[in-house]
Amino acid sequence: MMKGKLEPSERLKFIEKVLNHSASGKNLKEALASFEEDLVKLSDELQQEAQSIPNMTHPDVPIGGEDSSAVRKKVGSPREFSFSVKDHLQLGKELDLFDFDAAAEVSGSKFYYLKNEAVLLEMALVNWTLSQVMQKGFTPLITPEIVRSSIVEKCGFQPRGDNTQAYSIEGSDQCLIGTAEIPVGGVHMDSILAETVLPLKYAAFSHCFRTEAGAAGLATRGLYRVHQFSKVEMFVLCRPDESDTYHEELITIEEDLFSSLGLHYKTLDMASEDLGAPAYRKFDVEAWMPGLGRYGEISSASNCTDYQSRRLGIRYRPAELAASTNPKKGGKGNLAPTKFVHTLNATACAVPRMMICLLENNQQEDGSVIIPEPLRPFMGGMEVILPKHHTG
Amino acid sequence: MGLHSYFGGATIQTLKMAAVPASASYSRFVFSPISRNLVALDSFPRHSPSPPFPLLARALSMAAAVQTTPPSSEDIGTATGSVGKPQWKAAIDFKWIRDNREAVAENIRKRKSKASLELVLELYEKMLAVQKEVERLRGERNAVANMMKGKLEPSERQKFIEKGKNLKEALASFEEDLVKLSDELQQEAQSIPNMTHPDVPIGGEDSSAVRKKVGSPREFSFSVKDHLQLGKELDLFDFDAAAEVSGSKFYYLKNEAVLLEMALVNWTLSQVMQKGFTPLITPEIVRSSIVEKCGFQPRGDNTQVYSIEGSDQCLIGTAEIPVGGVHMDSILAETVLPLKYAAFSHCFRTEAGAAGLATRGLYRVHQFSKVEMFVLCRPDESDTYHEELITIEEDLFSSLGLHYKTLDMASEDLGAPAYRKFDVEAWMPGLGRYGEISSASNCTDYQSRRLGIRYRPAELAASTNPKKGGKGNLAPTKFVHTLNATACAVPRMMICLLENNQQEDGSVIIPEPLRPFMGGMEVLLAKHHTG
Repeated sequence: MMKGKLEPSERLKFIEKVLNHSASGKNLKEALASFEEDLVKLSDELQQEAQSIPNMTHPDVPIGGEDSSAVRKKVGSPREFSFSVKDHLQLGKELDLFDFDAAAEVSGSKFYYLKNEAVLLEMALVNWTLSQVMQKGFTPLITPEIVRSSIVEKCGFQPRGDNTQAYSIEGSDQCLIGTAEIPVGGVHMDSILAETVLPLKYAAFSHCFRTEAGAAGLATRGLYRVHQFSKVEMFVLCRPDESDTYHEELITIEEDLFSSLGLHYKTLDMASEDLGAPAYRKFDVEAWMPGLGRYGEISSASNCTDYQSRRLGIRYRPAELAASTNPKKGGKGNLAPTKFVHTLNATACAVPRMMICLLENNQQEDGSVIIPEPLRPFMGGMEVILPKHHTG
Repeated sequence: MGLHSYFGGATIQTLKMAAVPASASYSRFVFSPISRNLVALDSFPRHSPSPPFPLLARALSMAAAVQTTPPSSEDIGTATGSVGKPQWKAAIDFKWIRDNREAVAENIRKRKSKASLELVLELYEKMLAVQKEVERLRGERNAVANMMKGKLEPSERQKFIEKGKNLKEALASFEEDLVKLSDELQQEAQSIPNMTHPDVPIGGEDSSAVRKKVGSPREFSFSVKDHLQLGKELDLFDFDAAAEVSGSKFYYLKNEAVLLEMALVNWTLSQVMQKGFTPLITPEIVRSSIVEKCGFQPRGDNTQVYSIEGSDQCLIGTAEIPVGGVHMDSILAETVLPLKYAAFSHCFRTEAGAAGLATRGLYRVHQFSKVEMFVLCRPDESDTYHEELITIEEDLFSSLGLHYKTLDMASEDLGAPAYRKFDVEAWMPGLGRYGEISSASNCTDYQSRRLGIRYRPAELAASTNPKKGGKGNLAPTKFVHTLNATACAVPRMMICLLENNQQEDGSVIIPEPLRPFMGGMEVLLAKHHTG
């Protein structure tokens, strides 16, 4: 301070401060250390508190709890059955598609084996979905399912909270992913992207693991709420001015997928209390599940604006607008300052929920299940899952 | 039972191409149907031509190489770990061990196992002695109890009461000893490795015998790149981002590598389904006791197993584990055997203790996809099914054009559960050596005794002396034999395919059988990078 130019009043103030702590240089050094320590503590505390501040909210988002969510779109209507409807568990039993009992012994409740045609159905759903979104320009990825817990936090989840959804690995700082959003978010962390590469559009296939702690009492039967499942997730990184547009694109892709499979569903614009901290706006799709007798969530599309990118450190450098007339000599004179990207994520296919929909909606009186047309080529042309003759 | 698949005779040429929307310059990938003509026999009459599946233009293939590390001889399942009571008991036939002690000792020697047969036999004898004493004391106690029922003089009654009390104390003490001995015996005996097939070569890894050799190393007219370099040029993997996000030995698959993994898995599943294997997708989190019962040690020092914090669960290193658990603690009817499963799962391995071994790229990774075959059968059939499994593996690898050799693993390299083990090593030109791509083990009754999987032999003929009521005519149960074999370990397969099929221009030819599963894509082309 003393080296540079100071206003006399500033200089005086500074001298006062030094004198208040004593006249010697040693005390100045101690004072500095003390203040620097305070600075670090304050900075950490500020960071911790501020991280709890949720993302801002899109002006069109309805205000209130889950009953306030608005229906954006409704496609189809509940199928009318001329016979009594079975739920997916019963269908699965009769068609020898699942084994929850063996899994309860081997792994615990909410685990399951898929068998026979259910295996083909999962593969078909994943493969068809990937091919569909790849046609729309999404780069396919298969991701790690074990990640450092800091990445989980940066995406806006709390891996070590009380009712955490994240399984932690013993003896390490790693945990299992609950969604591919997490490892994909991590791909470009701590990076500066050139504007020309945006938007980056990924379709990531992974298994997902969720503890479902705190989910007691909710519909937990069968495939509706499970600890492990396969999912294809779309993830977009884009310029801030484009995120609303990509949010619309993502929900449209989802709706096209679900319509192609013949599902009856409604798209909800989630209300302010139901967004989750990272989301600026969130569209959920709920599909009709006749066996459950209600709508069940099959996908979610969130615009997280810069909430995740500020935590993951994902920036982009805007391209030059025009050649500057005053080029500075050397250095980074002509580079525009970086900005944070916006990130979006959307479920293209969550296999167990889709399986519930397909089995329950497409069941026939004789207990067979019709396979939706788009999936048939991916199942060797199979058109229907027939009850089989059990040999034991 | 299983879904039997029927593979129609349609070739690529006869399949109709579906109309493909004009793709934008970067949407170069269109996905092809994964499984061809997988049809239940009874729903699709053979005479009608299988519906052609529309081939979309270039599909993305997902390839994940899968490595199968056989359980090392340290991976011996013990229920207790270092302290405490066993949580489960293996149905070990101690009497048989005692009656065949020479053979068992010889087996331990040739496997260089750390099991202590002497201790086991000693504990067994002690246990038998204590058991005898317990039975004797019980008899006496019952006798005393009977005496107490009748008329007795007060002084006599008092004597009997005394005697009864003393007996009760002695009994309690011996019963406690019995439990301790039983637990200790169980812990020691679980370390005893499986017996060994007489044809297994004796010695270390250099003693393994070559059963079969198919093809020969391809001769290259240009300098060969390894899979990492090919992956970089073709934009197939990202190890660097994964190191930041997850740690070393993790990776993302991108673009055609994704299609290649999916194609490998789907093709493999369809192939083995045609051979009568029931497809399964399994849990990847299991209770650690199941891992132990399969012959692995989840909590040992160099354990391959990831444990979940705050629970008794861990991640599977192979689908062998959850499939082994399907029928645990069950008695199967003989008529359902053999049970043949083809299980697809992700596999997680810590690879602790693997430092210094080839760790570059996809060769040794923490997570990978694998299709695993698992068979439960009658004891007299397990040798036959072992041959069947290795033949299926060899057919798969030959179909993909790999050059490989099948080894009959030597006694020190079997791993405790395996009676006999065949490993397939394929030529990896980028590595400049053979690398293991699969393993087929006959575990006889080692796993079934721990998992509690029995079967009840069918009646031979109607008995001429039917006993009245009860289970008079049921044959006693026996333990099944279990076998497991890698049908496809994706990362290792990917190494082989990329390195062997590379062209001078940096492109990679896709093996014919996989092309229908990749939308007809014939070659991975070097792409123009946009950023």
